[in-house]
Parts: sequence; C-alpha cells; structure tokens
Amino acid sequence: MEWSVPDEPERYKASLQEAEGTVSVTSLTRDGVEVHIHETSVEAEGRPGRAMVKVGRTTKLAHIARSGDTWWVHIDGRAHEVVFHEQGSRTSASEGSLKAPMPGTVLQVMAKEGQRVREGQHLMTLEAMKMEHKILAPKPGGITKVHFSEGDRVDMGSSLVEIGD
Amino acid sequence: MSPEWMSDSPRPFSKVLVANRGEIAVRVIQASKEAGLSCVAVFSESDSSSLHVELADESVLLEGGTLEMTYLNGNAIIEAARSTGADAIHPGYGFLSERADFARAVESAGIRWIGPSAHAIETMGDKISARSLMIESGVPVIPGGQIPVEEGADHLGALASAAAKVGYPLLIKASAGGGGKGMRSVSVPKNLRGEFEAAAREASAAFGDGTVYIERLLNRARHVEIQVLCDSHGGAVHLNERDCSLQRRYQKVIEEAPSPAVTPGIREAMGVAAVTAARSVGYVGAGTVEFLLASNGEFYFLEMNTRIQVEHPVTEMTTGIDIVQKQFEVAAGLPLGISQQEVSQNGHSIEARVYAEDPSRGFLPSIGELVVWRPPSGPGIRVDSGVREGDSVTIEFDPMLAKLIVHAPDRQSAIRRLDNALSSFVVLGVRTNIDFLRNALTHDSFQSGSIDTDFLDSTDPSELRGPDPDRPTLVAVAASAQRLGMDRQHIAGTEAVDDHTGHQGDPFRTLGRTFP
Repeated sequence: MEWSVPDEPERYKASLQEAEGTVSVTSLTRDGVEVHIHETSVEAEGRPGRAMVKVGRTTKLAHIARSGDTWWVHIDGRAHEVVFHEQGSRTSASEGSLKAPMPGTVLQVMAKEGQRVREGQHLMTLEAMKMEHKILAPKPGGITKVHFSEGDRVDMGSSLVEIGD
Repeated sequence: MSPEWMSDSPRPFSKVLVANRGEIAVRVIQASKEAGLSCVAVFSESDSSSLHVELADESVLLEGGTLEMTYLNGNAIIEAARSTGADAIHPGYGFLSERADFARAVESAGIRWIGPSAHAIETMGDKISARSLMIESGVPVIPGGQIPVEEGADHLGALASAAAKVGYPLLIKASAGGGGKGMRSVSVPKNLRGEFEAAAREASAAFGDGTVYIERLLNRARHVEIQVLCDSHGGAVHLNERDCSLQRRYQKVIEEAPSPAVTPGIREAMGVAAVTAARSVGYVGAGTVEFLLASNGEFYFLEMNTRIQVEHPVTEMTTGIDIVQKQFEVAAGLPLGISQQEVSQNGHSIEARVYAEDPSRGFLPSIGELVVWRPPSGPGIRVDSGVREGDSVTIEFDPMLAKLIVHAPDRQSAIRRLDNALSSFVVLGVRTNIDFLRNALTHDSFQSGSIDTDFLDSTDPSELRGPDPDRPTLVAVAASAQRLGMDRQHIAGTEAVDDHTGHQGDPFRTLGRTFP
C-alpha cells in the first residue's frame, strides 16, 4: 500500500513493526527513495480516536480518525490528512482536468475547445451557496474538452474542463 | 404560563418558537430554557436529528426539499407556532429575521415577534432609504453618493457617469444585501461592467432583488459596529463597539470587543450616533449599527442590522449582558432596566468563526462527516455551536460550524487564549479554517491591532499559511494507525466486523498482536 498527502504528488511506503499494541515505522520511502525520519511509533491510547505518538524522544497525544481513504491526524495543534492508496493505483488518468470543487450550477463558460489559455485564466464560473466561484486554469495549455454549458448542474468532483499541453 | 420575571409585563408570553437552525437556534433555545420559557424548534427533513431539535421541548417538521419550503416558509412557521401554542417567535439571524412581511404576518397572527417592527426592518433593510434617513438624522454617511440601478433597465451609460462622479475605487452593493453577497469592488473603469453584472446576478439570486448601488470605497478603514438595545418605553442604550475588521470578501472572520482602534472619545461619539440611528426608526429590540472607521478617526454609517448578530457573544462577554434575554424582556414590553452609565466594559473578548471550508482551495465549503469533534473548554472559553460529533456537513446550509469565543483581562492574553483554544479544537473528517484562523490571529498586523478591512484580501496567502507539516512523519503515523486498526475502534461496545474475514473482531488483535 502507498500513502500521499493532499496536493503533493509524492508516494510514500512505510515498513511497520509491531509489538504489544504499538506500531513503529522502521523505514520509509518517498517515490522509491529512502527518507530518514525520527523513529515514530503509535500506541492506541485506549479511548477511540486517541493515540500516543512518539516521535524521536517526545511523546504526544494525537487524535486520529479515518473517513474513506483519508486518515486525519490532529497533532501539535493542527489537523492533517494522509491518503491511503492500494498498491499501484494512480491518482487520476487526466492530469490537468479541472474538477468541480463542490456541487453547484454553471453560470458562465469562457473556455472554448481548442483555445490556448494562460495559467490563472478564468475558464468558468460556478455558483454554489449563492456565491460565485471562478474556475481558473491551473496551468497554461490548450483546452481539449469543455464538459458543461451554462445552466448545467454539476456534482462535486465532476470534470469541468480538460487542458492539454 | 409565563415565567415569574414577566409578572409585571403588559404583554407576557410563555412559549417561544425558534425559526432558525444551527448554532443560533441552539443559543436561543438555551436562553429560552434559562428564562423559564418553553421552546419549539422547527426543522427540515435533513435536520431531523440536528442538535437544535434535540434540545427543544417540542419540534415541528417543515416539509419540503428547499429552503423556500422550509426555513424561509413564513406561513408554515406561523402554522407551526399555532399548532404548538407558541405565543412568540424568535427569528435568529439570516433566514426570515429581516423580512418585514414576515414580522408583520407574525404580529397579525397574534404572536409576539421578538424583533423590531416591520417598519424598522423595511427602512433599514433598504440601504438607500436607510442612507437618506441617516443624512436627515445627522448621522455621518460615506462620502460620494448612492445611485440606484434597476435590474433589467438600460443602465450602463448612467452607471458609468455615476461611477465617474463617485470616483474609483468604488463599491457596488446590493440594496437588499448583506453578508458580502452582491458586493463587488471596482478599482478601474474597465472592470465596471463585469463586476456590476456579477453583483446584480448575485443580488437577485440571494435576495430576489437585483437592485444595486455604488459608493466610494474607503481604503484603510476598519469595520466597527455598535450594539444597541431599545425598549418600547423610549429607553435606549448602546453596549459599546465590536471590531469586525478581519474580513474575507466582506464576510467577518474574527470579531473582538473592545476595538483596538477606538478611543473613549470615538466610542462615545459612535455610541451617540448609533442610538440616534436606532431612535430615528423607532427601533425596539436588539440591533447593530455598523460603521466604517477611517484612519483619521472619522466614522461613517454603513448599515443597521435589525436582528441579533453572529458576533453578539463578544459584547455579552465584556458587558455581562445577555442580549437574547434582553430581547425577551423587550418583546414582553418590559423596560431595559439599565442606564448608559451602568453599561460596563470588562476585559477583552474575541470570537473566531469556525467554518467547514478549505483555505487551500479558495475557501470553498467542505463537506463530510464530523468523525471527531472535540471543542475546547476551560476558563474564559465559550463555544456556540449547532453540531456534534458524527453529524454530517452538507452544502445545503451555511458552512459555519461553531463560534469560539474567549474572554481575558486584556487583548494580548485574549489572543493567546484564543490561539491555544483553537489549537486544541479537534475536528477530523471535514476540512475547516481552524489553522487559517490561528495564522491570521497570530499575524503581526492583527497582533498589533493595525489591520483594516482589506487585510485578509490583500495579504500574500503565504503569510497566512501555517508551518509546513513534516509529511513523512504524518505518513508514518497514519500507516501505524491503520495497522493498529484505529479506524475500527469507534464502534463503542462491540467489535466491528472485520473487512477481510467478515467475522466479528479480529482474532489476532484480541491476542494483542497482528501478523504482518
């Protein structure tokens, strides 16, 4: 199995060792290359969602929970997400496809198929929660596909526009 | 039967229907119970197991799949009051709270309306009429001028010449607006048309009225507002100011009392102006007069909110006055019972709005299940919330999850207390703005009290980002937690069914170890 953190392309693998209700990481790789970390171990604290995390020589309480493939870790006063992937799975076949960040209605479509766009160019406007949200090009390139037109309802995660090189 | 404290009331009531949901419904329901009043909740299908329903003495389902059929359905809400024998309605904020026709319908159904008169709502709700009234009453308004623009009319020529007269940068605002909807700033003439159209569309979608107007945009100004309380005997006091300058796209993020920019002289002058504004519409109840405070100490009327506000707790913490209880007393026809001299100012209070939104994705609302929800507690910490662990966050409603309010002897200790409370506010399963709140709160400009309303929108986002997490360590923690089976613990009392074997529990785990 592999791990990643949101918005970062790197894939991690961890070798685990277990003893007496404690799991420690003995070695970690990032994109196949070994990374050195302080020895990290996790011991269930007894109450649901709580664990004692030992990093190097310091032990801290962390709150840990899972929803779907995401593990949520609250430690040192901040919450983080770590995503779990079955071995070999790929993030998404279509790099450069723009997904609807939330369900809503398409208000305006500026992008046209075949058009060249610069990074940050306004491609589409979505309306959700009675507010307008601009969909901007994440990279320069040519528009290969526009999936919706004005007035369409979109679900969260629907691909809106695809940008090729 | 109405409670003991209402025995001298000319218009007593005994059962309050709360026409709202979320944290404000919870706040009003708790206040009703403390006041010895019975309370009725209303709810939509998707709210059937929400906290406000659980806390109320009775509840009534509002049938239908849209807000118009449920929380915005005045007739159904009045019918719910009739069927449960509720003799008063508290609207909270948002929804029907500033609909004059609803206030009127409630009163004509013989039910006490816990809010100002329909006339006051109407006059202050229309920004153009409010502005004219303020000019008449001698309350300072923003320089420039208001130019009403009717939706649908051929307005672009008129708009451009009006804009040239007002000057750039300018602000386009929805006449019926609030909460940043239908509000756009325009810095150069070439953006006027596009921003105008967007503002008019947002205004029609949000308020059913696309009328907008333009106003000079004051730079480097702070948003400072005064809480007022007025009774039906001519009594009116103000409860000092709140500073809500930390805003994102005109939506308040962090509010505090007192304002670091308000001197005793400004406070007194602004307080007098706010009471004058309230009296000019014969205001009765709790309301807020919002001002822009320029860097030279001059201030200008922005608008009056004719309802309880989201940020009312910071005033409660510093004055010791329960504003919802005061709303009940005034609605029962009782006098305020406090003079201006008796309004005190004790310490410093700050409120942070915790939203289900993702700062790394342009603050889009986030959804999911609140798998873990552990609000902080301790001396000087108050959490007003309408959710609990296990609740689902959907995009159906406003994404505000809770308000975290702290009270401390001075501003610096209040900031430290809030930062510490935010750091122990554990929310897992839904992305929130908690980190962002901490980063904004501890930013030098906020700490020094020198921000203006543009601060969040004009600051480089990298300055509001927290420290980079140690990703490999997080991966190590998550991988270890997965191996420990921490995702299967939350089913209390029973062992979850093992994903792979389909058996109850994991035989290896009961032995205290698992094979690789």
